[in-house]
Amino acid sequence: MPALTFNKVSKTFGDHTVINAFNADIHDGEFLVLLGPSGCGKSTLLRMIAGLSDITSGDLLFDGSVANDWEPKKRGVAFVFQTYALYPHMTVRENIAFPLVMDAFRKWYHLPIVNIVARHRLMKRADIAERTLSIARQLELEPLLDRRPASLSGGQRQRVALARALVRNPDLYLLDEPLSNLDAKLRTQMRSEISALHHKVGKTFVYVTHDQVEAMTMATRIIVMNKGIVQQVDTPDEIYDHPANTFVARFVGSPPMNLIPASVSNDALQLSGKLAVDHAAPLPSRRHMTFGVRPEKLTLHPAGEGRLPAQVAVVERLGAETVIGCRLMTGEENNDQRLLEHDLVFVRVSGNPKVRIGELCSLDYQAGDVLWFDIDSGDRIFPGQE
Amino acid sequence: MTTPRKLAVKALRYMLIGILVVLAGFPVYWMAATALNVNSQLYGTGQVAWPQLQHLPDLVTELGNVPIGRWLFNTLLIASGGTVLSLTLGALAGYALSRFKFHGRGLVGFLLFMTQVVPEALILVPLYAMFITFGLLNSLWGLILANVGFSLPVACFVLKGAMDAVPYEIEESAIIDNCPRFSVLTMIILPLIMPSIAAAAVVSFFAGWNEFLFASTFLMDRTLWPASVGLASFVGQYETPMSAVLGAALVFSLPAIVFFLLIQRKIVAGLTAGAVKG
Repeated sequence: MPALTFNKVSKTFGDHTVINAFNADIHDGEFLVLLGPSGCGKSTLLRMIAGLSDITSGDLLFDGSVANDWEPKKRGVAFVFQTYALYPHMTVRENIAFPLVMDAFRKWYHLPIVNIVARHRLMKRADIAERTLSIARQLELEPLLDRRPASLSGGQRQRVALARALVRNPDLYLLDEPLSNLDAKLRTQMRSEISALHHKVGKTFVYVTHDQVEAMTMATRIIVMNKGIVQQVDTPDEIYDHPANTFVARFVGSPPMNLIPASVSNDALQLSGKLAVDHAAPLPSRRHMTFGVRPEKLTLHPAGEGRLPAQVAVVERLGAETVIGCRLMTGEENNDQRLLEHDLVFVRVSGNPKVRIGELCSLDYQAGDVLWFDIDSGDRIFPGQE
Repeated sequence: MTTPRKLAVKALRYMLIGILVVLAGFPVYWMAATALNVNSQLYGTGQVAWPQLQHLPDLVTELGNVPIGRWLFNTLLIASGGTVLSLTLGALAGYALSRFKFHGRGLVGFLLFMTQVVPEALILVPLYAMFITFGLLNSLWGLILANVGFSLPVACFVLKGAMDAVPYEIEESAIIDNCPRFSVLTMIILPLIMPSIAAAAVVSFFAGWNEFLFASTFLMDRTLWPASVGLASFVGQYETPMSAVLGAALVFSLPAIVFFLLIQRKIVAGLTAGAVKG
């Protein structure tokens, strides 16, 4: 049974629909990443799981039980916020122990002043103190236990937020862009730490991000969202190799998949309207479509050797590899001086090839690496199966 | 290295601070000097500019004839009772206005603001009628309630503003951590807005401490008077013992000064809160 099921879940704010009839299953123990651009509703979805946002329509099921109206505490989830949301007036130790202390609170402990005394006494209780210390050790926070969040670095705060989530040992961890406030190096380090943590605790993680690298490296499954609608649910490899539509093809991968307008005339393929290409494989049985190929599936050749004549417009040297942006020589390229990224065809080559901007070259591809998409809807199409 | 120019600027700064200290402190000094002078000198031209300590026993005897301790206690009760009530209700109302969306939220804010527009004297007569109806006349609790009517909206606005600045995520994080709403307010939000609570406390405390109009109207019993009304009672038809008045005023102002000194650091932090991104 899935740990969590979304059954036509929608969320609206006034007239604005943020999530539209969302359907998905989240399986026990998986690392599911909700991936999408800002404002696509992924954080709202996470908040709905946590019980911090109401569901407008549809059902959210926890282990088969409808949980739409459950209080956050009944859901037994841990939430790591983008801003970490540590309690600034408490020490690291108090921050980590807070969920345990709250679980141990009796009703009357919540009275003003009584709560201060109760909190201090519970902090000293052996089981709470030991559990706090053990989690702190696990995340290398022991030397920082008596410091306040303000005196910690971003990475340390992030670890305190994770420790606070881990301490109660919940079944479901919700992480809302927890790495977005860290610098690139720390982000890479924390990425591996969170992945390792998932393997260690073996619980269900739902992770929200707009960073496709995070999604590809950490997820066991990814849900790609756009404008509140699920675009594709699949494993990272499947999403990368077989995107369901042009949105996914463009959103996942850096640089994104090359998408070139194509047309078929008399069984011959033409790219960008003018460039006739000998495709040597079955073509979709329609007149207009989009030709898609990943940058690493393209090969760079001297001018005249490949099927796609091109001119180098951008060279990004990344050390181990180089990303080269080329403009296809359609015969009308001199009338079109735009150098916008979406007009360029990117090719990723290993090493550091000697290419100069403005140099003429050619590109080539294997017919099997090409994906076809509907020109209007952007949905994937399969030649021969239409 | 200290250059002569830097030294001159420093000296000028200290001189300016000195002048300000003298300007602020002179009224207190003059109060003490007058309190320890002979009444006959005060009404003539022979007032001595410095306190004459030999008159201290006379002053103590004179103040001993009036229940000044009782008056001070009443003042303290009115000021601290009003402060506690204003802060408690102000925190709850401020939290509701800051965090919950409900119909009439704007109207509630407007009505709270309106209490600051209406002068106290204007509602004296209707309030008097209400106090008779509810049996609150000649009662310190009634006076506290009347004062809270004016200090609560200020406390509410100050605290609401501070709560607005507390990120939602911190509150939501506490809710996820199994903390009920009321405890979120008392354990998480209130400790984070301590400087603003101190600022609201000062406003409420001094509103109660300086209360005169309501007290002189609603309290008939001499033993229930706060110090402000007690001080005013020194003013006679034919004679006003000025040294006793100012002696009593000095005693009256000391607890207020102590209160202010105790929380002044917090107030400064409250006034500057939010000025710099944390």
